[in-house]
Order: sequence, then structure tokens, then C-alpha cells
Amino acid sequence: MRNLTHTYATGSGRPVLYDVSLDTEEGEILALVGESGCGKTTLGRLVAGLHQPSQGSIVFDGTDITDLRGGKRREWRRQVQMVHQDPYGSLNPGLTIGSTLAPGMLRHKLATWRNVQQKMIKLLQQVGLDATPAFLQRYPHQLSGGQRQRVSIARAISLQPRLIVADEVTSMLDVSMRVAILDLLLSFQRELGIGYVFISHDFGVVRYFAQGGRIAVMFFGHVVEEGPVEQVITTPKHPYTHMLLQAIPVPDPVLVRKRDEADDAPKRMTGEPATKGCVFANRCPLVQDRCRKEAPPLTQVGDRHRTACFYSDEVPPLQHLTEHAA
Amino acid sequence: MSNDQKLLEVEDLTVAFGDGPGSVRAVENVSLSVEAGEIYALVGESGCGKSTLAYSMLQIVPPPGRIAGGAVRFRDRDLTSMSKRELNTLRGAELAMVFQGAMNAFNPVLTIGTQVDHILQAHPEAFDDPKEGRDYFRHLLDLVQLPPDRIWKSYESQLSGGMKQRVAIAVALLLKPAVVILDEPTTALDVLNQRLVIDILKDLHRTLGVTIVFVTHDLAVVAELATRVAVMYAGRLVESGTVDEIFKADRRHPYVEALINAIPSVLDAGLKVRPIGGSVPNLAELPAGCRFAPRCRLAEDHCHEVEPPLLGDAQGHLVACHVVNRHAELVEVSGA
Repeated sequence: MRNLTHTYATGSGRPVLYDVSLDTEEGEILALVGESGCGKTTLGRLVAGLHQPSQGSIVFDGTDITDLRGGKRREWRRQVQMVHQDPYGSLNPGLTIGSTLAPGMLRHKLATWRNVQQKMIKLLQQVGLDATPAFLQRYPHQLSGGQRQRVSIARAISLQPRLIVADEVTSMLDVSMRVAILDLLLSFQRELGIGYVFISHDFGVVRYFAQGGRIAVMFFGHVVEEGPVEQVITTPKHPYTHMLLQAIPVPDPVLVRKRDEADDAPKRMTGEPATKGCVFANRCPLVQDRCRKEAPPLTQVGDRHRTACFYSDEVPPLQHLTEHAA
Repeated sequence: MSNDQKLLEVEDLTVAFGDGPGSVRAVENVSLSVEAGEIYALVGESGCGKSTLAYSMLQIVPPPGRIAGGAVRFRDRDLTSMSKRELNTLRGAELAMVFQGAMNAFNPVLTIGTQVDHILQAHPEAFDDPKEGRDYFRHLLDLVQLPPDRIWKSYESQLSGGMKQRVAIAVALLLKPAVVILDEPTTALDVLNQRLVIDILKDLHRTLGVTIVFVTHDLAVVAELATRVAVMYAGRLVESGTVDEIFKADRRHPYVEALINAIPSVLDAGLKVRPIGGSVPNLAELPAGCRFAPRCRLAEDHCHEVEPPLLGDAQGHLVACHVVNRHAELVEVSGA
């Protein structure tokens, strides 16, 4: 996968994604982070082929997928799967688990009528569900949220994909189950070499899941910072990334007080994107005249680390996070 | 209002769903007291009884749930023995609630302003004239960082989830209640909206002096917001204390520790993170002994046989765990 570039326009005429270019290697994890409405889900859906980009192209393994037709397109669609946020809405309530899992494998000739049952039972085992023929006869409403999400994951891996787009897969699950689901997905990266485009607004989850991978921070359709996970989280180079990290609730009351004493300046956490110059200018604490006139391009600031800010050197370190580490 | 006044007291409360042998107890023998000026957190996983406990504070436990024992007192008046009429004057005016998913709590075909007018008409005693009530609502919108004029004329569908949550908070505060109870106020919001709601609640607590009770499963939100905390598990209170006591590792219920470690934090790369195995027990088939024992990494044979008592130290930090309490100088808490 190289060079995903696309601009995508809605009916209102305001693009949801502006000239986004990102790439990810085979088996790598790329996390897309940003507030609600920043375009991260749209980008994920484009990558998974659920929408056609209005401009630009998606290149998967050297081939521009917008031009693919017929069998080649089908083959690409198999290789990129998606796991959705809502385990209640993403499974057909009228289909048993077996009827949910079988058609994809049969369609792509990864199973035959003779062995599909056996393959489905193996899948159930792989995702940590009750691996019995009886389980295949059950309907989604008979399962818990965690079990449903495991079925969704089974459906995705059943097609032996190379890339899975995982959209907020743990946000609707109970706290006790989240890590188990993340660990399950990570085991497929390790064992099957599956790469992930991992969409989340939760930096804690991203730091856990995408260790060694990369983060792209999005703000209203623009990638404003992109780089290795640890680097972006510990030394952010864009004021928006800094704002997001600073906003995260910290499970330590002593640290909370320290942070609030050190930083009590009022923040502008809401506000429309700027239409001229830097898109973040309306909310930015570091904003200067230049930012209102020119849009900063994504510029290299370190090893595979890019940011779209003229004043990236002035982004302060995250005191409470670095102190905790020390 | 003196600062150490017991504003809201729950005493030996049991809430049962159903009757007879098939009934289950969503809340069992729970005692706690919320003092004026506190920000009190009720914490636990889904199904641990925290929302039911919050509902019982307003006597709005949905049927077939019912208060099967104990009392809920607001300023020394027992809510469980009040008439419907008495309760209705209390609700909203003294005890207000923001429900989970409050963003879906508005009527979609009326403007926010019309809905606020309806509340003012239903409670004519609250303000000298409706204009004063409207002005106060505008002031509250200011406090929750929303533009009053625009919100007043808006329909629910014109507002984002985070904005609706803040409007719901302003509406709950309209009649100047002494206590506002919020069920999962930050769940389903993105990180910036979460931060905004946390900051706004802190600010409202400071400027209006309102006492806040909130329900959450997220211990990071607890650390950010709460002054006191009660942790529930399978209907029982397992730990309560000040926010610092809860997060200090020296005498902490293993369930609380498990909850903290279950959430990947941005503070580190997740070396300590591990899921809590198993799930909250079915209330109809509770295990013998400690209810958390089947999932507990400290559990001993004794834990599977005898339910641990809730024991407190001199500061009133309560923990119900045989293992953690073993070496501490503790007293049993009456009625708990």
C-alpha cells in the first residue's frame, strides 16, 4: 500500500478529507486519531473500498484500486476487511452466526460446502468463542457485545485479509473486555501478518495497540501530524496533538492536580476550522499572523515524523506525561 | 448550608427486581452518605448496580425493581416513605438527574427554549416570573460554554452530541437543585468533549456550589473529577473513600486495581494493562463467599466461602476484602 491520496466531497460541497496522503507497510499498524467528525472514519471506509474517493487514488500493493474491475476487484476486496464500531449494528440480526460467516468464504473459494462448517468452527476457536456447531446456529441477539465483536472479527479474518480497517472497535464494549479484544487483534498481526488501519479517539488505546506502529492525527479532514506512535505521544509537534493529549483524563488524582496547577490557561477546545491559512488557527494557542494567511504543509521534523505547523518547535512538552515516565 | 451536612444518605439499601425465589438484588445492603459540596463518584462495570443505586436516590427505579429494604434520606427526610406528590416537588427542584445518553432526552419537534418554558410552567414556584427563569437558563448556558441565543432557538437535531450533553446539564440545573445526579456523563463523547464536560462540571461545582453525584465506569474520569468515590461490584459496595484513598495502592480492593489496569492509559505503553477475566456474575447465581473471588488474582480458599465484611480505617476508608484487610487495624462499619 502506497500513497493514499484522496479528496472526498459531500453533498454540501465541503470536503470531508482534504488532500490526504498516507502510507502504511504490509503488516504495519497505522492509527487514525482525531475528534468526532475529523474524517477518520471516512478515510477508513475509503481504504476498505466502501466509498469511491471523489478525487485522488488509493494504491494497494502497487495497483490503483479505483481502476480495478471484476475478478481483480473482488480479489482486492477480500484482502482489505473492516471491523465496525457497533457490534449490535454490524451483524445481520436475521442471520445465524454460521450464515454470517459462510458466504464470504464460499464466494472467495476459501471453503467448499463440504468443509465450510469445519472451517467456521476453527474460526470460532481462533477468536475465542465457543467452537461448537451449536454456536453457529445462534443469532446475534443471543450474544453479548464482546461475543458479537468477536464474530465480526471472525468474519473479517475468514477471508484471509492482508489489511483490516478497525473502526473504534472497543469503544462500545465494557471496560473489562476491551483489552482482550485488542490483544486478539494483535495476535493476528503477529501470527498472520495482518496490518491494521486502527481508528480511535482514545490515545490510551492507540498507545497500547499500535506500539511500534504509526499515528496520523486528523483535524477536519487534514492530516496535521504523522509519525511513530511513541514519538508523537511523548513529543507531539503539532498544537492540536498536544491539545488532544493534554485533554485525556488521567487515572491518577495526584497527577491531575499537578497538571492543572502547571497549566491553567483557558483552552479553546471547540471552534470551527479556519477556511483560510492553517485549518487549526481558530483554536490554536500558538497562532500567529502567518498562520492566518498561509496553510502550513506537512513537513519532516524527525525520522518519519511530519507535522503541518510553522511553529512546531514551540509546542510544549507534555509535562505530566513525561514526569510520570520518569 | 454547613459544609459537613449529610445531604443525601443511603442506609442499608436493597433494591430487588421481581418477587419470590426468582428475584435478584441489584443493590444489596449498601450504605453511603453524600455531604454537601462533594463530587461523589459511583464506579463499576455494567451490571454492578451503580445506575440502579443512582436511580434509587430519586426513587425512579424502573419496575419490576423496587426498594426492598433500607432508606434513602435527603436532608433527613426519608424518600422511601414519601408520597408521589412530595417526591414530585423534590425531583428537579432539589434532586436533578442527567440520564445516560442525555443527548437523546430532548423532544425533537420542540425548540430547546420551548422545552425550558414547559419546565418553568410546571414549576411556577421556582422563579418570581418566567422571565427570571429564562434569564437564569441563559446564564447556565453561558456556564456550560454554549451561545444562549442560538441554543434557545435550536432543535435537538441541530446540536452535536457534546453540545446536547451540555444543554442537558444546564436544564438539570435550571431549578437550582442542591444535588445533580449524572449517569455516565462522559461516555460516548470524544476526548475533547469529555475534557470539556469534566471542566464544566468542576466549574459549576465551584461557582454554584451544587453537589454532584455521578456514575461512571472510567476511573480516569473519577481521578479527574471526584472528591469521594464508592465502588460497586455485583450489587455490593466493595470500597469507598476519598479519591486519593481509592488511588493509593496500599489498601485497595483487588477489583479497583483490576479496573485501573483494565484500561490502557496514555501514561505508559501499557505494560501493566491486562483484562479482567470472566464477567460480573449473574445476580441470580451468585458465587458463595466474596462475589469477586472467581475473578480475583488474590483470592484464597477462605474467599470462596465467607463474604468479606466492609471494614474501615480511622479516616473512614472502607474496603471489603479478606486479603487486603488482613494486616490493617480496622473496625467493622455498622449497617454496611
